[in-house]
Amino acid sequence: MPAVIYFFVYTYMPMYGLQIVFKDYKFVRGITGSEWVGLKHFKDFFSAYYFGRLIKNTFLLNFLNLIITFPIPIVMAILLNQFEFPRYKKFTQTVIYVPHFISTTVMVGILYLFLSPENGIVNYFIEKLGGKAIYFMILPQWFRPLYIGTEIWQHAGWNTILFIAALAGVDPEIYEAATIDGATKRQKILHIDIAHIMPIAIMLLILNSGRLMFSNVDKTLIMQTSGNIPTSDILGLYVYKVGLAGSPPQPSYAAAIGLFTNVINFIMILSVNWVSKRLSDTSLF
Amino acid sequence: MRADTVYNKGIKIKKTKADRIFDAVNMFIWVIILFIILYPLWLILIASVSDPDAVVQGKVLFLPVSFSMMGYEAVFQHSELWNSYLNSVIYTVGGTAVSLIVTMCAAYALTRNFAGKKIFNFIFVFTMFFNGGLIPTFLLMRDLGLYNTRFLMIVINCVSVWNLMVARTYLNVNMPNELYEAAVLDGSSHFRFFLSIVLPLSGTIIAVLTVYYGVERWNDYFTALVYIRDRSKLPLQTILREVLATLKTSTSTDSFFSAYANDSEGMTLAIRKAQVAKYCCIVISTAPAVVLYIFMQNYFVKGVMIGSLKG
Repeated sequence: MPAVIYFFVYTYMPMYGLQIVFKDYKFVRGITGSEWVGLKHFKDFFSAYYFGRLIKNTFLLNFLNLIITFPIPIVMAILLNQFEFPRYKKFTQTVIYVPHFISTTVMVGILYLFLSPENGIVNYFIEKLGGKAIYFMILPQWFRPLYIGTEIWQHAGWNTILFIAALAGVDPEIYEAATIDGATKRQKILHIDIAHIMPIAIMLLILNSGRLMFSNVDKTLIMQTSGNIPTSDILGLYVYKVGLAGSPPQPSYAAAIGLFTNVINFIMILSVNWVSKRLSDTSLF
Repeated sequence: MRADTVYNKGIKIKKTKADRIFDAVNMFIWVIILFIILYPLWLILIASVSDPDAVVQGKVLFLPVSFSMMGYEAVFQHSELWNSYLNSVIYTVGGTAVSLIVTMCAAYALTRNFAGKKIFNFIFVFTMFFNGGLIPTFLLMRDLGLYNTRFLMIVINCVSVWNLMVARTYLNVNMPNELYEAAVLDGSSHFRFFLSIVLPLSGTIIAVLTVYYGVERWNDYFTALVYIRDRSKLPLQTILREVLATLKTSTSTDSFFSAYANDSEGMTLAIRKAQVAKYCCIVISTAPAVVLYIFMQNYFVKGVMIGSLKG
């Protein structure tokens, strides 16, 4: 069972290392040699200037992202299901999955290229239409729309898979019966498709709402510029910047923030799981 | 039965007006969606083979303008980029192989009955929701002497619990216990059963895992950013980040490419090349993942559905 060894080393041993959050970790002294400082790092963080902003940015980004991106794959799956020519349907499916395979680096790189105020195509059109070039990547108010927009462009198509599978499971006789009874497509969607998709949709929604304090460090790190920091600074990224990239790095302090977010996430998942158990009898554990 | 189908077909021909409007609107929506998805990709492709000046002036919109391979030439001459490309291939192939072996073995083990199965299962699932976090993991890797090694790039993140659970569900459904019992009666060991019966029958799930793990590895830049210090060991995505994700349209990226120019005339040429080279970088870095996807899509769209529905 190599997997057991792997998990032990990679995920459980760092938990031992978590004791540094109560210590003043120095790289030269190692974990056991560093001094105990109790809850100092947590206190520092809670009273830090950025505390409120980090929490707000992380939560808002995830929350907006969830409510805006969530319905789109459902609508796409329902509409796709109404295609009558299998060949077009297959082609469309192939195309909408493609952006999912583009890396975050390239995705954000495309943003920088297309939105460049000097020679990006978007600003070219804005100027053609008489507007002024917009510094998309620098203005804080553009960070969230761009982040969410690219999430949709990349993953909305891919996320239809589950719903398409759910719709494929609908008994064709139900549709036939509805057709014979004179139902229009709109009625069929409202009464058959949505009814079949609902259970999966609710479960996914519940699962995702347990992730409201997670941070997509990869993407935010590349999208962050000195200009949009007021909205793009989120917890996970702050941990990275303070703990590893900062000068001098403050590993203990950063690990404390990391632990804090992990505990919050864990509590959120447990509570969301509890709620879903009460409401719909579906749960993870 | 047959009469029914004919009857249905009869109805389909006489579509109601509402349905025809619906179909038209639906078509219209999809044309827009496909345009939104395909146009940026197309734009990158044509920009990568166009004349740099035309790209900068915004003349490249639907077709390549004065076809030129200048950008690709610049990219091909750039040894650091190709070195990182090679690194990425090594990390992706090696990492995916390790991931597949470990995941399949663990998934198989979790489908058999043995003492403590529940405990192991819990140990795996727990890590999905709680972990030490970035900093302690980093310190551990450093203490293990793995910091700045290629070995780390291959072994780290080698199992995703989610994929493990998908694989387990697949094996649970497709490898009934009776099959194992029959094999044991014929004198097979666990090992033999796994190698000569389970693996050959799990083509679909292996294809799914390959695509998942492979694409994730290929597209990962953050691991190297944290754990790798030597530039010669960096994978493609980390280098790409320096080239693409920068606010400045000139300076840093251009010097990145103009290192190969030896006089001022060469410099201006290099700066022009650098503009287009960015598009070329996007094309050559994204192509492998997309090609892998298109090549394997028949397998894995089916497999993804199996795994996700039951899991």
